[in-house]
Amino acid sequence: MGVTQPDVPGFNLATMTDAMLVRRVLDGDTAAFTTLVDRHAAACTRFATRMLGNREDAEDATQETFLRAYRSLARYEERQAFRTWLFQILINRCRTAAVRRQRRHRMFLVDDSAIAAASVRPAVDAGDLRAELKRAIDALDPDQREAFLLKHVEQLSYDEMAAATGIGVSALKMRVKRACDRMQWVLREGEASDVGT
Amino acid sequence: MSEPDDPRWLDDVAGELRREVPVRPAWRARLLDDVARAPRPSVRDIADDALGNEEPALDRARRRWSITVAPLTGLAAASLLVALGAGLMYVAMSSRAGAGASQRAAHAGPSTASPQLASRTPTVTDREVVRFELSAPRASRVALVGSFNEWNPVATPLSRDPASGKWVVSLRLPPGRHVYAFVVDGDVTADPSAPRAADDDFGSPNSVVLVSSPRT
Repeated sequence: MGVTQPDVPGFNLATMTDAMLVRRVLDGDTAAFTTLVDRHAAACTRFATRMLGNREDAEDATQETFLRAYRSLARYEERQAFRTWLFQILINRCRTAAVRRQRRHRMFLVDDSAIAAASVRPAVDAGDLRAELKRAIDALDPDQREAFLLKHVEQLSYDEMAAATGIGVSALKMRVKRACDRMQWVLREGEASDVGT
Repeated sequence: MSEPDDPRWLDDVAGELRREVPVRPAWRARLLDDVARAPRPSVRDIADDALGNEEPALDRARRRWSITVAPLTGLAAASLLVALGAGLMYVAMSSRAGAGASQRAAHAGPSTASPQLASRTPTVTDREVVRFELSAPRASRVALVGSFNEWNPVATPLSRDPASGKWVVSLRLPPGRHVYAFVVDGDVTADPSAPRAADDDFGSPNSVVLVSSPRT
C-alpha cells in the first residue's frame, strides 16, 4: 500500500493531526489512512459494540464506516474534527445495522408466545457488573442509548453530538437525561431483585 | 460499583463502558486490504452517492438546502434569459441608431456588476501580517502548518532569527480564526505561547490565532 512522505523526510506520521493525515491521503499517500484507522478504530468498535450488543455486527459496521470514510475523504471539511465526521458515518451505519437486524429477527422469530416462553433473564451473579450494565444498556431505547454512549462513553460535547447525529442539542440533552434515569431504575431494580432472591 | 442512588454511579457506569474493545488484528488486516483495493480518493471526484442513503445528517441538510435554492436558480436563469432578450432587442434598436450607441450598451453590464463582486472577495489589503515565533534551540528544522496552508508541512518553513535565536516567520492572514501548529523536526507541537484550540484534533493539540479586520 502507499508510500511514506517522499517530500518530507523524517516526518512523523504519528504526531500529525487528523487534518494533516487527511490532506496527505488526498495527496496520494494512502499509508496515512492506516494511521487514521489505528487512531480511531478502537473507539469506533467500542461504540458500535455497545450500540449493537455484539462484536460481529459492530466490526461489520466499523469496517463499512472506514471504507465509506475513505471513499468520501474529499468531503471532509477541516473545520470539523475528523472524529466527529467519522462518527456521523458510524452512527448511520449502526442505525442501518440495527434495522437490518430487526428485520432478521422478524424473519426468524415470528411466534411471540414462543419467544416470551423462551426468554429467560440471563443468569447473573450478584457481583457481575458487566452483565448488569449490559442489561441496563439493553433496556434503553436505541435513541437514548446512542445519546448516552456518545456523551458519557465517547465523551463528545453536545455540539459535536448534534453535528454527528443531526439532532438538536436540547433533544440530545433530554435523551441523555432519560437514559440516565432509565439506567438508574434498571440497576436499582436489579439490586432489589438480588436482595429478594 | 456505587449504589444507583449515589451520584457517583454514573462515573462508575461510564468508566466500565469506556473499557477498550480491542481491535482484532485479523479484522484490521482485512480492513486495510479492502482500503488498498478501493479506488484512491481524490479531491473533487466524489460521486453524490458516496455515502449512500445513510450519508451523514449534515450532508442531508446541505442537500435540502440545495433543493430550496433550486427554484431561485431557475428564477435567476429566467431573469438572465429575459435580460438577454432585452439586451438583444436593445442592440437591434441601437444598431439602427448607429454603431456608437451599441458600443455604449456593451459596456453597461460589467461596470455595474464588478463593484458588487469586489466587495465580497477578500483582497490582499484585507490581510494582517501575523508573526509566528518559537523557541526551539535544538531544532534543526521548523515549519508552520495550519488551516491557512492546508496543513502542508513543507509550505511554510521558519527561519532562525540571528538576534533572538528564535524560529520565526511572518504571514499575511485573512481576518478570522486560524488553527495551527508547529512541526519541529518532524513532530507536530502546539504553540506554547498561544491558546489551545477547543476543537483539538486527534494527535498533537493545535493552537489558535484570531486575526481581526484591519482598521479602515
